[in-house]
Amino acid sequence: MLFPTFTFAIFFLVVFVGSWLLMPRQGLWKPFILVASVVFYGWWDWRFVFLLAFSAVANQLFAKAIERAATAAARKWLLAATVALNLGLLGWFKYYGFFVTSVANTLHVFRLNADLPLLRIVLPIGISFLTFRVLSYGIDVYRGKLRTSSMMDFAVYVAFFPYTLAGPIARAGEFLPQLAAPRDPRTIDTSRAFFLIFGGLVKKMLLADYLATHIVNGVFTTPGSYTSLETFVGIVAYSVQIYCDFSAYADIAIGVSLLLGFELPDNFDAPYTAVSVQDFWRRWHMTLSRWLRDYVYIPLGGNRKGQTRTYVNLFLTMVLGGLWHGAGWTFVFWGALYGGALVIEHRRIDVRKARFKRRQRGLPGAAADAGDQGFPAAPPAAGSADFGFAAPAPAGATVDGAPLRSAAAGRAAARSSASRAAAPLALDLRPWGGGVWPRVGTFAFVTFAWVFFRSASFGAALSVFAQLFRHWGSIGAAVTPAVLLVIVVGIGIQYIPRSFMERAEAGFSVLNPLLQGLALACGFMLLDVLGPAGPASFLYFKF
Amino acid sequence: MDGRDTDRLPYGRRRRTAASALVAIVVALVLGAFFNAPAMKKTAEGMPFGGARSFKLALVDPLATVSHWLLLDRPARLTAEAFGKPAPGPSPVKVVVVKPTATPTGKPGKVDPGKPLPRPYAGHPLHLYIAGDSMAGIPGMALVNLSNKTHLIKPLLDYHISSGLARPDFFDWPAQLQLQTKAFGPGAAVVMFGANDRQGLQASSGKVYWFGQPGWTTEYRRRVREAIAILQDGGTRRIYWVGQPIMPDPKFNSQIKVINGIFQSEAAKHPGVEYVDAWSLFTDSSGGYAQYLPDASGTMQQVREQDGEHFTYAGGMRLATVVMALIKKDWLSKKAGSTPAPKPSGKSSPKATAKP
Repeated sequence: MLFPTFTFAIFFLVVFVGSWLLMPRQGLWKPFILVASVVFYGWWDWRFVFLLAFSAVANQLFAKAIERAATAAARKWLLAATVALNLGLLGWFKYYGFFVTSVANTLHVFRLNADLPLLRIVLPIGISFLTFRVLSYGIDVYRGKLRTSSMMDFAVYVAFFPYTLAGPIARAGEFLPQLAAPRDPRTIDTSRAFFLIFGGLVKKMLLADYLATHIVNGVFTTPGSYTSLETFVGIVAYSVQIYCDFSAYADIAIGVSLLLGFELPDNFDAPYTAVSVQDFWRRWHMTLSRWLRDYVYIPLGGNRKGQTRTYVNLFLTMVLGGLWHGAGWTFVFWGALYGGALVIEHRRIDVRKARFKRRQRGLPGAAADAGDQGFPAAPPAAGSADFGFAAPAPAGATVDGAPLRSAAAGRAAARSSASRAAAPLALDLRPWGGGVWPRVGTFAFVTFAWVFFRSASFGAALSVFAQLFRHWGSIGAAVTPAVLLVIVVGIGIQYIPRSFMERAEAGFSVLNPLLQGLALACGFMLLDVLGPAGPASFLYFKF
Repeated sequence: MDGRDTDRLPYGRRRRTAASALVAIVVALVLGAFFNAPAMKKTAEGMPFGGARSFKLALVDPLATVSHWLLLDRPARLTAEAFGKPAPGPSPVKVVVVKPTATPTGKPGKVDPGKPLPRPYAGHPLHLYIAGDSMAGIPGMALVNLSNKTHLIKPLLDYHISSGLARPDFFDWPAQLQLQTKAFGPGAAVVMFGANDRQGLQASSGKVYWFGQPGWTTEYRRRVREAIAILQDGGTRRIYWVGQPIMPDPKFNSQIKVINGIFQSEAAKHPGVEYVDAWSLFTDSSGGYAQYLPDASGTMQQVREQDGEHFTYAGGMRLATVVMALIKKDWLSKKAGSTPAPKPSGKSSPKATAKP
């Protein structure tokens, strides 16, 4: 069931009414929302529901066992079993074919032909997101950050339909506390919810799908048919398309959850305004960045084991993040590109820090430590200080026992750090400084990397790049004013100040509900007329 | 999340009750349904014949009528006109009744396929038209890429998702073929239909024939002949009619075999039409369905997408390579007809186009 369909609209209307009618009676509400979520998920393929059920039961049993285990060693073994089970499932469904073909092709290079079993395995939609959710539960219980919940609560957390297919990755510690008491039907942030849902539909139907059909798909699949300028515009258009597509899903999921009384973490914060690759990952797929930081980077040692090891950990984390996106070497390379970029940026900062400390020591009476001279006022958790991932979470949510900084707080800290940078002997922690050129450079790097992400193979990616130099001299029919306008809008919306949208949301919130409905109906009419004939699937469904 | 009630939202944004949200949602959906009723009706009409379509039409038809009476369909129509989009409602592609010039016995149209084929040369490329449903998309893209490499073939890819020969009211392929033959003037065409055609067909008498009935086969054959005739009348010298590949679902396969049989027999009857067997190209050594197959170099590739039906790019290239070999044999090889093409009267760009 796709969000931008009338079927989903009817489904949601039924769920909305049923949910709020049953909300005071939690014993009824929880089975209701669970059944609704199962219907939503099973709409794609009912067989996948068994996977969902198995995952919920198995992870709950393991989490309970971890909680009750008498010894640290037992807890450790149980955690290892939980991780192995979930990664095993993910590996089987998502990476089996990739693994077997890679082995077979490697053997083939050495003229060893092995008849390896290649099975047709159907990838359950959203399995990567499911794996992240259930792992966060088991690991947080192991770490003592979270107590196990009831089976019903955990099942609702696993299956909650708004985020099942493509996130945001709401962690158990963020979502389960919201199931502790009935949501209050008098205090729904409807205005923000409607803005998120409608804005998401606009981004998906008017921007992402338009660019996909009018230039991106052609440039990436039949590059030889396009001029160099068309290819260039197509590559940039893909950056806009993937942002509008993925963030649209997250926005709609957050908006739908808000209407049901639940808050999900933000997933995007104007990523193409980033001034560095670090900054980009603070703004792009923020819930994934946070997950990778807390469950991969920090367990690898984070920055606690020296500079070299920090760089290795950064690189490995990003490579694994790349592989998570898809079972293919282009995704691994895409992750490695980011790993390399992060290492370079961290190296720059480390060198700058060392130089800064030397200069400090040279000053008469310089006794203050670096923390007083330009480091962020609230350093991130131990082991993650240099990773550059700081994603916001809903108010009141805690991870690792500490309140999470919101995106706004993060920006405030950055501004604070930047303003201090202007003071004598200040340390600028931005790898490339601020201003226009770091933004342009970061966007260029991100756009370059997306080519590998989008292409079916390295050969296909190289064909796209080669086309950039082959056919200059004419514009090409695919570069239309509409395509350029959509690209400008897709990037430009990220530069709209948050306050502007908040004022609009505030203005909308005081309207009579009839007027709100009328405005939304007009909006839906425009989407229907101007959007594509049929809704296209969201890009991140396959991840 | 405790304390939500007392949270102050930015700029005095007000929280509302669930009842208030429900009013807004219901008004939005009901009004939205009236505004978009013609488009909803069109979507329902495009569904396969049967109970679900009738049920949906029974719901949407009155809605569209009331919407029209109350002028609630006007805003969408005016907006569409303002943006140069086709107005929602009946199919924008008018169904064109084509008089088949090819008879069931296989008499060709204007083109005499027996005549030697003109060899393309730089500045006068072979116009290759690639048409079909979503199954034709990826192989079509691969074929475009292979064509571009020759510098002697100018391809045009024209595929439409969920389309086929079964439902001209959903997408009118005869009209589209007429349009493209006139506009593009293909010398050769690669067509791939059938995956969406296992549904009821409405004959010109209005009678609906269900898949498996003798009347279905007769009507479908007529449509295949009609498509061939349109292409040949438009000057297409060679048609490469690609059959459907093996599918993972046995029931689907039994239906595909019927459809492929029609394509194959019609191709055999019509000079200038060649049937391309995609079925056996995607089977394993035991003749069964294969998700992975080795390419020419022996490298194992995933050839079918996760849905098991559509091609991956590697799969598309596997099929396109076979089709391109046929095209090269007919048009570019030394054995190909050596009649030089007439000098082009105007400038012809070698730039290929791919159109979804």
